Amino acid sequence: MTTIAFPTLISRPTSYTGLWSWIGTVDHKRIGTLYGVTAFLYFLVGGIEALIIRGQLAQAESDLVSPEIFNQLFTMHGTTMVFLVVMPMSAAFFNWMVPLMIGARDVAFPRLNAFSYWTFLFGSIFLNLSFFLGGAPDAGWFGYANLTGITYSPGDGVTFWALGLTILGVASLAASFNFVVTILNMRAPGMSLMKMPVFVWMALVTSVLMALAMPIIAVALIQLTLDRVWDTNFFNPAAGGDPVLWQHLFWLFGHPEVYILILPAMGIISEVLPVFSRKPLFGYPAVVFAGAVIGFMGWFVWSHHMFTVGLGPAANSAFAISTMLIAVPTGVKIFNWIATTWGGRLQLNSAMLFSLGFIAMFIVGGLSGVSHASPPTDAQQQDTYYIVAHFHYVLFGGAILGLFAGGFYWWPKMTGKRLGEKLGKWQFWLMLVGFNLTFGPMHWLGMNGMPRRIATYADGLGWEMSNAISSAGALLLALSVLLFIINFIRTTSSRQEPEDDPWDARTLEWSIPSPPPAYNFARIPQVKSLDDFWYTKHPELLHDERGEEAAASAPAEEDTHGGGSIHLPGMSYYPFIVSIGVVIGVAGFMDVLVELPGTNIQFPWLSAVGIVIGMFGLIGWTFEPVSEEGGH
Amino acid sequence: MNLRRLLPPARSRSLFLLPVVPAVLAACNKGDAQSTFGTSGPVADTQANLFIFIFWIAVAVFVLVEGALIYSIIRFRRRGSDDSLPDQTHGNNKLEVIWTAIPVLILIAIAIPTVKIIYDQDGPPPDQGPVLDIKVRAHQWWWEVEYPGEDVVTANEIHIPIGQWVNFTMHSDDVIHSFWVPKLAGKMDIVPGDVRQLAMKADEGGMFFGQCAEFCGEAHAKMRFRVKAEEPEAFQDWLDSMRRPPAELVSDDAIAGQKVFTDNCGSCHATNTWQAPGARNERTRLAGLRSAYLDDRNKADGDRTNLIAAPNLTHFGTRDTLGAGLISLTRDNLVEWIADPDDIKEGNRMKELARPYRENTLTSEDVRQLAAYLMELKPVAADAVMEPDDGTAGGTAVERGASTFDSSGCSGCHSTGSDDRLGPGLAGISARQNDDYIRESIINPGAFVVEGFSPVMTETFGDTLSSDELNDLIAYLKTL
Amino acid sequence: MAQATLQGQEQHGNVADTNTGISNRKMLMWVFLASDCLFFGSFIATYLVYRNESLVGPYPNEILDIPVTSISTFVLLMSSLAMVLALNYAQKDRAGLARFWILAVAALGLVFLGFQVVEFTTFVDEGLTIHQNLFGTTFFILTGFHGLHVFVGVLWLLGMAFAHFKGALTSRSAEDLEMAGLYWHFVDIVWIVIFTVIYLIGFSDGEGIETIEHAATIIGG
Repeated sequence: MTTIAFPTLISRPTSYTGLWSWIGTVDHKRIGTLYGVTAFLYFLVGGIEALIIRGQLAQAESDLVSPEIFNQLFTMHGTTMVFLVVMPMSAAFFNWMVPLMIGARDVAFPRLNAFSYWTFLFGSIFLNLSFFLGGAPDAGWFGYANLTGITYSPGDGVTFWALGLTILGVASLAASFNFVVTILNMRAPGMSLMKMPVFVWMALVTSVLMALAMPIIAVALIQLTLDRVWDTNFFNPAAGGDPVLWQHLFWLFGHPEVYILILPAMGIISEVLPVFSRKPLFGYPAVVFAGAVIGFMGWFVWSHHMFTVGLGPAANSAFAISTMLIAVPTGVKIFNWIATTWGGRLQLNSAMLFSLGFIAMFIVGGLSGVSHASPPTDAQQQDTYYIVAHFHYVLFGGAILGLFAGGFYWWPKMTGKRLGEKLGKWQFWLMLVGFNLTFGPMHWLGMNGMPRRIATYADGLGWEMSNAISSAGALLLALSVLLFIINFIRTTSSRQEPEDDPWDARTLEWSIPSPPPAYNFARIPQVKSLDDFWYTKHPELLHDERGEEAAASAPAEEDTHGGGSIHLPGMSYYPFIVSIGVVIGVAGFMDVLVELPGTNIQFPWLSAVGIVIGMFGLIGWTFEPVSEEGGH
Repeated sequence: MNLRRLLPPARSRSLFLLPVVPAVLAACNKGDAQSTFGTSGPVADTQANLFIFIFWIAVAVFVLVEGALIYSIIRFRRRGSDDSLPDQTHGNNKLEVIWTAIPVLILIAIAIPTVKIIYDQDGPPPDQGPVLDIKVRAHQWWWEVEYPGEDVVTANEIHIPIGQWVNFTMHSDDVIHSFWVPKLAGKMDIVPGDVRQLAMKADEGGMFFGQCAEFCGEAHAKMRFRVKAEEPEAFQDWLDSMRRPPAELVSDDAIAGQKVFTDNCGSCHATNTWQAPGARNERTRLAGLRSAYLDDRNKADGDRTNLIAAPNLTHFGTRDTLGAGLISLTRDNLVEWIADPDDIKEGNRMKELARPYRENTLTSEDVRQLAAYLMELKPVAADAVMEPDDGTAGGTAVERGASTFDSSGCSGCHSTGSDDRLGPGLAGISARQNDDYIRESIINPGAFVVEGFSPVMTETFGDTLSSDELNDLIAYLKTL
Repeated sequence: MAQATLQGQEQHGNVADTNTGISNRKMLMWVFLASDCLFFGSFIATYLVYRNESLVGPYPNEILDIPVTSISTFVLLMSSLAMVLALNYAQKDRAGLARFWILAVAALGLVFLGFQVVEFTTFVDEGLTIHQNLFGTTFFILTGFHGLHVFVGVLWLLGMAFAHFKGALTSRSAEDLEMAGLYWHFVDIVWIVIFTVIYLIGFSDGEGIETIEHAATIIGG
């Protein structure tokens, strides 16, 4: 292909070490690391916010923080944990593991991948800048209109929130496109969809959900921003606008989002359980199918977040039934996981403990979920601490424990070192106890009438003891996270002989060195079966159990193109530059509008600057050859 | 409903909770004021029963599934360093079918009563006697309460009769709120620009705690209220008392306080809706205060007076709480509240918007006198009333008109002097305009809007004022 | 297949290299378009929810000019035809004709945008602004975002016409053009939906039946 020669705008980065190498990197593993480190730092930020919340609520009539600050804290705690912790931490594992598990050398669009990360990072910084620029958002992570309107939230906080989430949405969309294409198109030869690891399946379902759900929240956020900045009427009741429209748009995104948060963790434990049970995942097709069905049915249950809005008995009945139905595939997954452990040789190390803890806690969250799938009981539970308890059992007991399981499981692959087992087990047990102390009593608090999102409560309502226990539990949780940090530091500074396959694991990422070389696979593997690597190590099993030819042991196809010619995509600064353009472009809708001469249009001049930067980066990106050798 | 027959009654059954859920529950008392157990009305009873039904199913599932998990962990944990491979099972289709089908059956068992109750609880039952209508209007961060047809208006404390179905018709004047009295019924959100209905009945008397359950801004945590369920006769007595004039003020402080109130508080807080027109016009008065700026978005940015709304204080001294169900109404608490409302309820609109606070004009003497006055705001004893109390009888047309001017809410926006408030000052109106202009301006405010004022006056006076009242009002206005 | 896979896939997506047989870039475009469906779908749903809900005029029946917009709709439809021709010639290695038709597509897109600018200006003159009523809010934002999509498409096509100026619009780079074509046809189809929803279904929409009741609710009747 020849195009006109385009002058090189910025010479591409060449060094593979130092700050600039990170800014210019397009290696999925390094980007995964960036995602992971960032998400963990935000985990600490969100955790500190939670600790202050628990400090405030530890006793009645407390005035540790003002209601104004309290509202900011719970808004940012929710927003941070959802968008800046669980989603990017899942993205970290997607980035690190999906290419390795499907036998690819990188994702389909390495530079788009870098763009996703930088946009995420800048968006998250933008969102948190609000703390220092006149107050953080304080209308809840759900941002219900019309409280978010300019009349009732006159500060900049909500604008920061709407624009920040828009930027994060761009990042998520780019990442989801990338992973859909990667998983559908870049699997190693022979790896049909039903031979993919469950984690990759869940990454695919999650990515599809993101690709379809993010535009909906983007539209809602655009409408909100326009209401605030340009006086449109989307959610303005005085002009006939209906605040409930926001709720529909938000939860039409929000419920798939719940599965975006939990499916990656479900994928992780579906990998961990078989490895440490030393037997295959029970009912692989059922687990995969249940995951896909959850992803599909997740689109038809959103109004169960709105049972008390007054949608009428017909709508409430319909959504009650669809919500109960979605418990069925969830149950199927749980039963198959338990059946996976049944009859195994369970090695109860940290990764396995976290996975088992996931199942145990997720069952509780699932059962409490059924109790508010029923609108009459939900009428008493909606917007109380019962709901807070429920979704923390799902998102902390589920997603966070699952992500820690993934951390302990894949740490040797990512770094060549195992995390300390002793500290890991201490962390698990402390976390399990602390978690149940923190969130268990909240079930009772909710049934005892304590609403959510209240900055303070009166004495004498019977809430003091449960709240005190909950706050004490939060301290244990903090301690358990501290143990992880200590474990991280000790492991990082320890000397260990890297092992390629320390767990005798099943999937392709363990067939290559730890940590993997930049090109991942010296030879692209030929896949013959599910858990191909396992059957390469244990060919007799495949033969015995399936009556098939023990073909998995056949050596991978020789690289006929000769050694030393693995070309990796070159590093690039342009994704970084385009991200800066995107953030400035969106941030332009903050309070920096100028009136266009001769009109009454408030023009976001800063956005124009952002667009120019973004266009510059995009043009450079388009004409930069993918690798240093130039176009092929 | 047949579910009840399946299960023992809620109270005795909730005791079963105790052995199951450990110390946390044991420490709790089902009589806690906002508990969803130990309910006092059929709506909440049914909801609690359904919950307990689901709860026991969940407990059974929990025990079985967690039991299987824990059993598997203990039974199949690796012992020593046994590295042999266990049986490599891949799955079992029969099992998959079973554990898909059983949850479906369980969920059907939950779904059937669920749907039945959804429809049962959609409005008051048609066959259980007359239904009392109560209008609730939610504000940041308090509740306006009206008894339509009874000409009674109050705030934050809702009186209802025992044993009669009550249907709440609910609006919001600002953002989304949620009306929740756990002991009587599950919550219902109140969405601005729309109407919501919620029916409930109290089977026993008591002071039931309520609280806004949808996050509604800074003081959301302190948007509480009380529902007072009384015997029907006591309820009727209360309604009647709300329609009697206030008792004579006794203390000097209270008499002085009345003047302080008129000068500082009266343009937002009504105390005179014991008169029927005043009660009928409470809405108009508040809407006038509020909607004044709703259309004027430029003003909304810099000036948040569009958030103005103020609780009705008629016969305030008879209430039990202040600050929207926050603290009990005592003179000391009231002094503290008036002196600095933010101390008790951070974020409240009065501290933020009311002139006496913005300009810091209230002395501690004023505060003391105000509290004395408000504590004495009580109706006269029933036998002391001679006159019919609709506020229209007696006196000359001008006197009656003056009374209407105050009670109908005109004085909220119009000065009788020449100073302009939301609306123009009305001194000398007769010199400027004739009767027909005045009449038309009242009934159809959009007809003539004086330059420099927003067309914000509501168009309901033609409906709420009788033609006699209108004539009296005009007669009065011409004397200004 | 091992060697050079990555750069091959990202830059020009050799079909044989992927599991599905669809090049990475083309699949990216399809996923993006699926995502964009939900984007427009949400705006269109918003428009439909607020049909006949405006409290004050101008209402659609007072202001929409169907004949004029039918012309611009026809123009946009024709641009899709031109797009088909452009791709056809590119695949047949007839670079000149391909370039001609690309420019024709861009020109027709610009004509469509011109119509939109005139329409917006007229509406604003007649008192319909984004904050006048719900119709103004939903109409301008929905059609505005569509116009933005058309504008991006025009830039893309112009960029392509000039970047490939040296006679490179041939079958070898036809996939570049095909991607632009996918996008363009999608934007065209979205317009058909918008035109139907706003202009055809909504042409008689006036003051809503519920408007009066609604106003009463707000005032607090």
